[in-house]
Amino acid sequence: MAGNDNLSATSDGPRELAYRPVVGPHDEMLAESGALRPQWRGLCGALADLGMAELNRRWEEARQLIREHGVTYNLHGDPRGLDRPWQLDPVPLMISAAEASAIAAGLVQRARLFEKVLADIHGRQDVLSRGLLPAELVFGNPSFLPPCHGVALPGNRHLHFYAADLGRAPDGSIWVLGDRTQAPSGAGYALENRIVMSRMLPEVFRDCQVDRLALFFRAFRETMRTAAPYNRDNPRIVLLTPGPSNETYFEHAYLARYLGYTLVEGADLTVRDNRVYQKLLGGLQPVDVILRRLDDHDCDPLELRGSSLVGVPGLVQAVHAGNVAIANPLGSGWMESPALVPYLAGLCKHLLGEDLKIRSVASWWCGEADGRDHVLSNLERMVIKHAFSPARFEPIFAGELSAADRTALAASICARPNEYVGQEQLNLSTAPVLVDEQLQPRHLVMRVFLTASGDSFAVMPGGLTRVTASAQTLVVSMQQGGGSKDTWVLASGPVSTFSLLQPAVQTVELTRGGGDLPSRAADNLFWLGRYVERAEGTVRLLRGILVRLTEKSGLADVPELPHLMRALSQQTQLFAGAGSSAAFSASEAELAAFLYDVRRSGSLAATLAELDRVAGMVRDRISMDMWRILSSLYLNETPTHAEANGPLDFPSLTLSDALELLNRTVQTLAAFGGLAADSMTRGYAWCFLDMGRRLERSAHLLSLLRSTVVQANDAEGPLVEALLEIADSWMTYRRRYLHHRSLAPLLDLLLADENNPRSLAFQLIAIGEQLDRLPHDPTLARRTPEQRVVLAGLTALRLADINDWIATDATGYRPRLAEALTRLADDLPVLSDAITLRFLSHLQPSRHLAEPGGSR
Amino acid sequence: MIYRITHVNTYRYSEPVTSCQNLAHLSPRETPRQTSLQSQILVQPSPAVMSSRQDYFGNPVSYFAVQEPHRSLTVTATSQVQLRPEPTPEPALTPPWDDLACLRPRPGSPEDVEASPFRFDSQYVERHADLASYARPSFLPGRPILDAVLDFTRRIHAEFRYDKTATTTATPVLEVLRHRHGVCQDFAHLQIGGLRSLGISARYVSGYLLTTPPPGLPRLLGADASHAWVSFYCPGFGWIDIDPTNNAIPGDRHITFAWGRDYDDVCPLKGVILGGGKQVVDVGVSVVPVDAAEKDDA
Repeated sequence: MAGNDNLSATSDGPRELAYRPVVGPHDEMLAESGALRPQWRGLCGALADLGMAELNRRWEEARQLIREHGVTYNLHGDPRGLDRPWQLDPVPLMISAAEASAIAAGLVQRARLFEKVLADIHGRQDVLSRGLLPAELVFGNPSFLPPCHGVALPGNRHLHFYAADLGRAPDGSIWVLGDRTQAPSGAGYALENRIVMSRMLPEVFRDCQVDRLALFFRAFRETMRTAAPYNRDNPRIVLLTPGPSNETYFEHAYLARYLGYTLVEGADLTVRDNRVYQKLLGGLQPVDVILRRLDDHDCDPLELRGSSLVGVPGLVQAVHAGNVAIANPLGSGWMESPALVPYLAGLCKHLLGEDLKIRSVASWWCGEADGRDHVLSNLERMVIKHAFSPARFEPIFAGELSAADRTALAASICARPNEYVGQEQLNLSTAPVLVDEQLQPRHLVMRVFLTASGDSFAVMPGGLTRVTASAQTLVVSMQQGGGSKDTWVLASGPVSTFSLLQPAVQTVELTRGGGDLPSRAADNLFWLGRYVERAEGTVRLLRGILVRLTEKSGLADVPELPHLMRALSQQTQLFAGAGSSAAFSASEAELAAFLYDVRRSGSLAATLAELDRVAGMVRDRISMDMWRILSSLYLNETPTHAEANGPLDFPSLTLSDALELLNRTVQTLAAFGGLAADSMTRGYAWCFLDMGRRLERSAHLLSLLRSTVVQANDAEGPLVEALLEIADSWMTYRRRYLHHRSLAPLLDLLLADENNPRSLAFQLIAIGEQLDRLPHDPTLARRTPEQRVVLAGLTALRLADINDWIATDATGYRPRLAEALTRLADDLPVLSDAITLRFLSHLQPSRHLAEPGGSR
Repeated sequence: MIYRITHVNTYRYSEPVTSCQNLAHLSPRETPRQTSLQSQILVQPSPAVMSSRQDYFGNPVSYFAVQEPHRSLTVTATSQVQLRPEPTPEPALTPPWDDLACLRPRPGSPEDVEASPFRFDSQYVERHADLASYARPSFLPGRPILDAVLDFTRRIHAEFRYDKTATTTATPVLEVLRHRHGVCQDFAHLQIGGLRSLGISARYVSGYLLTTPPPGLPRLLGADASHAWVSFYCPGFGWIDIDPTNNAIPGDRHITFAWGRDYDDVCPLKGVILGGGKQVVDVGVSVVPVDAAEKDDA
């Protein structure tokens, strides 16, 4: 296959690369002469030694690793809100040591400048009185937040974390395309890219002498620690995320875990007595530092006018009181305004007494007449951005618009010129990307990260390189199908092998604590438990039905089938009318929809999708192995899941295919349960996960019995066997009663037998034990409401006379059994509510105080 | 002139509120023509935190938090303010509006720089060609600015209907312009929008009116609640107040509490609550003159 290798080296001549850059832009790898640029030599040599076949094989493995790690990027506009797997290209971008240090020097200067400007604007505003900046860029700019003005920030630190998007012009020079100063994203993806790449190409990575990222994150952690106004020795630091629907939520969870911070949402925090607290099951714990991924406007619904309530009411007040540090400080989003760019050179001269070392791509603010005229008369060469907030709309590449659209854009600019900025379109450089086993050129933008460090800034040696979806577009967007690359900066000296993943040897205070749990996480774990069990219950029941359909030929052979069908239809509210096997087997489409249609409520697919969603919210609480198990559920593998907008096209399934699928799913869910039981510390997280499972298992069991055995029927023998099989208690039963199949022993085993881990009594005992573990007031003598519900149910079971319960009336109905099962079943929602009220009630949402109507 | 201003907000909830945090612009600010003699805010149930600071625009703002469950919240703000009305400039002597409107703030003039927060778009007021063309007939070339603004004020008063039921805080200015009705807040936003669209700095003033007029004078509109009017910047003369709702230049009956770019900057009371179910709000305002004797007693 050597002839097909793109990266094969001939024995004597220069290395041959089947890669042809496009004409025009600078290519990162090949000089115009076609020669390899020096910083690529080591990589290309190593890749050529590997050969294309091996590279492809390893890439396949790497992509598997990415799927297993669950690295995703949420796509907006996706009707099903599904995550897209993270796109990583196997060929890194190579940067020479000399260029990296020039970039670093330029960006450190820029970060210092930004910090000075932010301090001035939120303080004396000299740059305005000196006319260095038009006043409109502050006061007419919604990103300037007056409530954030005049705050004495801890350590006078106005910028902790900064990212710049860089592009390279055809002449090879580097330009800044955009700045991120409030909550830069991407550092976590850069880290994940590095971890995947160094595992995929360990020998290449080692031989190329690439700078490590860990030192950067160590500096960042140190900056976070020292940012704390109090408790600098051991501050409580949280990472505040808008939640799982955010496009970079994966990264929030990933960074939180890597840096050792707690991942929180606004609802996890509260402001009391001018301090920020985290709501934990055991009580409120003060928070010292917030690393935020929320935009300024969303941080405090009381003072920052966010219409959504995802933030923390009173946060601004806590900041004014000096009791919490926020990174980056509230109000820093203003510095991202593209309209500021034309004034940076002047500001740099004035505030630092230096010339800008790395310049921004030429930009014009249309709020000034000269700028507007220039933008309008050169529109086709312009990238149009919102003047104040880069997030307001995606950059518009005016050259790619139709003439009519361009005229409309010009009209919009004329109507509200102050809201637009024109940026010279840069013909971005290209680099090789592996597409269909071939190297093809793609344009790229490199995001570089800086962290405050001491009284200056440190630069990540590397970064997140993003590439366009094709060579024909200059739009770099993960939303529009772009990909990413790892960025390898060649070390100028010996490479440090420091890693945060393997903490340095130091004496650690031994503790058994750390068990306290955010109330919201408790809620999600509770529901994770419920969904796992709900899925398992549904799968077991459906499997029982399909087994009978495939093994037996006619309905006469399976008299228990209609009863099982009734149970399924009552549990799922689907398959109504499928009371007979004939109707059921006729609808394989129905079966496929049940297995795959996430939009059909009650379907197995919908339950698994919920399971997936809730699991995503507690990723930082479950182990990588548990996550991996959940990722292997069948719904995560099907093409319908990845396909975003197309019509839902379900795989066509035979009964035995479906059966095979269900068997695998039972095993997966059982593996999850087993791993949870085997590896989760018996803390609060475990308590809630387990209570959720037990509660759902109880509900499923009672529902199953209520729809099958309350009315006597002539299929009792086979039905008992089926129920035992569905409830996974067949072995025990057979040992006790051999081949005698009847209802009383079944009910005893499934309801009252406290040694059967599938019985109702067993579930109630387990829930009772978990409740005893949770925080409660030890001085209270009486039982809590939820303990009483458990005790009532358990007592009813212990006092039950099963033979009395199964007595029938003249019609074959079992009134006492019906009543007992109903009472037990009705207790379950009461129990669930009592648990919620007791432990999770302060999760209620915030609201705005009413406006005084009509009396203004 | 000394006035006692009482502003009571009462909220009743159908379900308990577990905690609330609030921000109040309920204390009068000091201005060249008024002095705050006394000011206090009482909150029931009693707040765990009550603190004051100055907001960006120099207004006193109070933050308070009630951290125990409650079914009602009463905020009572009382203050005494002394007014020293200043003579209004002679309109004909003010500079032509088009000479100064489009000027950048003069770098050497701190007053001009201070006026700049009020020249641009804000949350509730965006400059717009429609607002400019509505204002334009009053702003003939070369017309003295106060003369032009007084004419603009008279037109708003004549052409818009005062209607408490027609709008909410969220009603956009352009809609007010289209339908020609609203309350004091809408008229203030409308006039600010017209002035800024022509390049003139204008700010939103939140305050109160004397509840019962002196004998022989009509009761002013907006006296039963907090009131809002406009102040515009005239280089060389400073800020001049104007009340489009009453077609008047505020004198000895308008008490200033706070100013900002628009209502959003100076909302008298806002808050975020946890829980609460349905909310019912009552607002009561009274502004009465304090005669000398009563003040001595106090």
